[in-house]
Amino acid sequence: RTPGCWATDAAAAAGLCGAGSEPSVAPTSYAGNLPSRPLPLLSLLLASGNPCPWHYLHLSGSHDTLAPTCVKAKLHRKRGSLPPDMTSALTDGTSRAPSTYTYTSRPRALPCQRSRYRDSLTQPDEEPMRYGNIMYDRRVIRGNTYALQTGPLLGQPDSLELQRQREAKKRALARKQAQEQLRPQTPEPVEGRKHVDVQTELYLEEIADRVIEVDMECQTDAFLDRPPTPLFIPAKTGKDVATQILEGELFDFDLEVKPVLEVLVGKIIEQSLLEVMEEEELANLRASQREYEELRNSERAEVQRLEEQERRHREEKERRKKQQWEIVHKHNETSQKIAARAFAQRYLADLLPSVFGSLRDSGYFYDPIERDIEIGFLPWLMNEVEKTMEYSMVGRTVLDMLIREVVEKRLYMYEHKEETHRSPEPEDEPGGPGAVTESLEASEFPEQSMSQTQGLLLDGDYVQRTTYDRRSSQERKFMEETELLEQDEESAMRKSLEEEELS
Amino acid sequence: MAHSQNSMEFPVNINTTQITTAYGHRALPKLKEELQSEDLQTRQKALMALCDLMHDPECIYKAMSIGCMENLKVLLKDSNSMVRIKTTEVLYITASHSVGRYAFLEHDIVLALSFLLNDLSPVCRGNLYKAYMQLVQVPRGAQEIISKGLISPLVWKLQVEREEEFQELILDTLVLCLREDATEALGSNVVLVLKQKLLSVNENIRSKAAHALLNVSISREGKKQVCKFDVIPILVHLLKDPVEHVKSNAAGALMFATVITEGKYAALEAQAISPLLELLHSPMTVARLNATKALTMLAEAPEGRKVLQVHVPTFRAMEVESHEKPQVAEALQRAARIAVSVIEFKP
Repeated sequence: RTPGCWATDAAAAAGLCGAGSEPSVAPTSYAGNLPSRPLPLLSLLLASGNPCPWHYLHLSGSHDTLAPTCVKAKLHRKRGSLPPDMTSALTDGTSRAPSTYTYTSRPRALPCQRSRYRDSLTQPDEEPMRYGNIMYDRRVIRGNTYALQTGPLLGQPDSLELQRQREAKKRALARKQAQEQLRPQTPEPVEGRKHVDVQTELYLEEIADRVIEVDMECQTDAFLDRPPTPLFIPAKTGKDVATQILEGELFDFDLEVKPVLEVLVGKIIEQSLLEVMEEEELANLRASQREYEELRNSERAEVQRLEEQERRHREEKERRKKQQWEIVHKHNETSQKIAARAFAQRYLADLLPSVFGSLRDSGYFYDPIERDIEIGFLPWLMNEVEKTMEYSMVGRTVLDMLIREVVEKRLYMYEHKEETHRSPEPEDEPGGPGAVTESLEASEFPEQSMSQTQGLLLDGDYVQRTTYDRRSSQERKFMEETELLEQDEESAMRKSLEEEELS
Repeated sequence: MAHSQNSMEFPVNINTTQITTAYGHRALPKLKEELQSEDLQTRQKALMALCDLMHDPECIYKAMSIGCMENLKVLLKDSNSMVRIKTTEVLYITASHSVGRYAFLEHDIVLALSFLLNDLSPVCRGNLYKAYMQLVQVPRGAQEIISKGLISPLVWKLQVEREEEFQELILDTLVLCLREDATEALGSNVVLVLKQKLLSVNENIRSKAAHALLNVSISREGKKQVCKFDVIPILVHLLKDPVEHVKSNAAGALMFATVITEGKYAALEAQAISPLLELLHSPMTVARLNATKALTMLAEAPEGRKVLQVHVPTFRAMEVESHEKPQVAEALQRAARIAVSVIEFKP
């Protein structure tokens, strides 16, 4: 028994529902080429008695060995009676089927083709399924095909063999029929219920004994392609029945919406709470920051105040120090000044007298009359004196010259006279004339003037003593002839010489 | 009734504004290709899909690794404004996550975005500011913005922008940048601009401007500029503002500005002591802390000390107060103690 999917063709076979047949379904494929067996549809469904036709796909655990599961077919297995609305629902379902029908099933090994009809009771489950395995098929020739015994195939089949086969077939058939009668049938309906056959195809058909046959003809155009087969939509028969879902029949909105709403609102509130908490946290952080800032500001102000105080004190100190220093400095300066002043005063106290004294000493203070006399008068006086003396000197010189001449002459005369005898005359004359003559003789030629003068001088000296008076008179005499100055000078010179010689 | 067969048609696109994303890890590479397509519609739809995806940090990381950022940079220069708007939105969402910020720094997106500062579409500019604001939440991002020299344009934009929302965003960005480095901003007259904003009608702008001034006056140069431009009287005026956080930010700005002597005297002249004393009883801890510190600064000046000697008991009471958070309590106590010691200081 393989549960499978119902196909539309299976519905056609519903009419052949036999009694007492076990629910057995042959797998059919709508698009497949397998011929669909006439199936005892409804009785099979009724037999199992499953309540929900929609959700039931799988019969029971015993049938899972070769269960092809329908993946995409829209049709589900139905068991039990199909209420009319479900039928329409079915129709509705299938009317919206996609345009192409596909069917897929898990690959499975095809059972042996021989047993078309299921012998559900006589063949218990333990009996192994006869697989249509090609390896075990007797019809397939195995081995060497060249040396086969082709007896019955060639020409007429053996009559004996044929007969035997026919009898065997008949016996088998009889056995089958006997077994069929023994086969249990669909259980009797429960009290108060009735088994009803149900169609489960997409389009429900009115099942009548007599098939309505209508002859139809159709002819396509000669050279037209065969148009595609239109979708078979059977004519509507029967009564239209509508249904309406009234309020409150399906579900109560208010009740149903509650959990959904709760979740929605809950999530929103949760999210917003999170955001609000975040903001609150931020605000708290900021508030604490601000507080800290305030405390810090006040501390800062305190620090600045102390700094300021410090600065002020320091500046004050600096100022005071500076002031003090200035005071001290001034004090020093003043004392120095005083000391200097005192010293200077003292120093300069005897400046004046000393200055006057030194000036006086250096002769800056003079009596002008005295000065005048000294400067003016006295030089003149001296000049005059000199002149006078010079005159007298000149006079004397002249006199000396005269004397000299005279003396020379006398001498000459004496010499001439005394050639015969020499008399030492000069004894009268002291050293002076002797000296004069000696000197005259000695030094005649060299310094004549000097010697003359010397001699004259000596003469003059001698003469002077004796003839001073004479000179003065002679002087007077010769004042007119010779310069006064020369005499004076000579006289002065002689005087000085005499003095010098004497000293 | 439904068909049990798969339909040959493509599935219905429920959201026509978005392109259908591929499944799983093919989503981002496919989106990347679509971003480069010639067709405008495709690009726009791909951007919208990307916007949704970018909320997930893992997606951002994936996008970075396949080089989506370069595509986005190119798209920033697109002629269609919708594309630009959506690109900036994507970048803004990216910048909210740290991975995204890292992407910003890696691929030099800050510079590419800066070309859109003068964009005509306000939505685009808005997204741009939001992106920058997200970026500067970390100090590294703030340094990036400073180093690219974007502070001066932002300050200028603060003056020019009409939309208050945008002004707020720019102020937020500036506040965090100024914390890092204020020198460039001071060069671009940020104090004057902030001074204007202090008088704005919108309380958020006032508060953020005061906060920005606080950060500006941390540096010495900032303090000097604040005193020079006579911002202190305005700050004192803000101390009487009805809104709490404006008051606290103003007190903070005063706290820093009065560290230098000029600031002290300017604040004393503007009668800052009484509003500050009121602020000591404020519900906000920050305000109390800032007020205490500001009063400490003012107590260093002899005139201030004289006035505050009367109020020493208030500070003593604060010393023994407790707060639920131990650090805050400790800070308040310490501040009060210091204030008392400064007030009672005898030279």
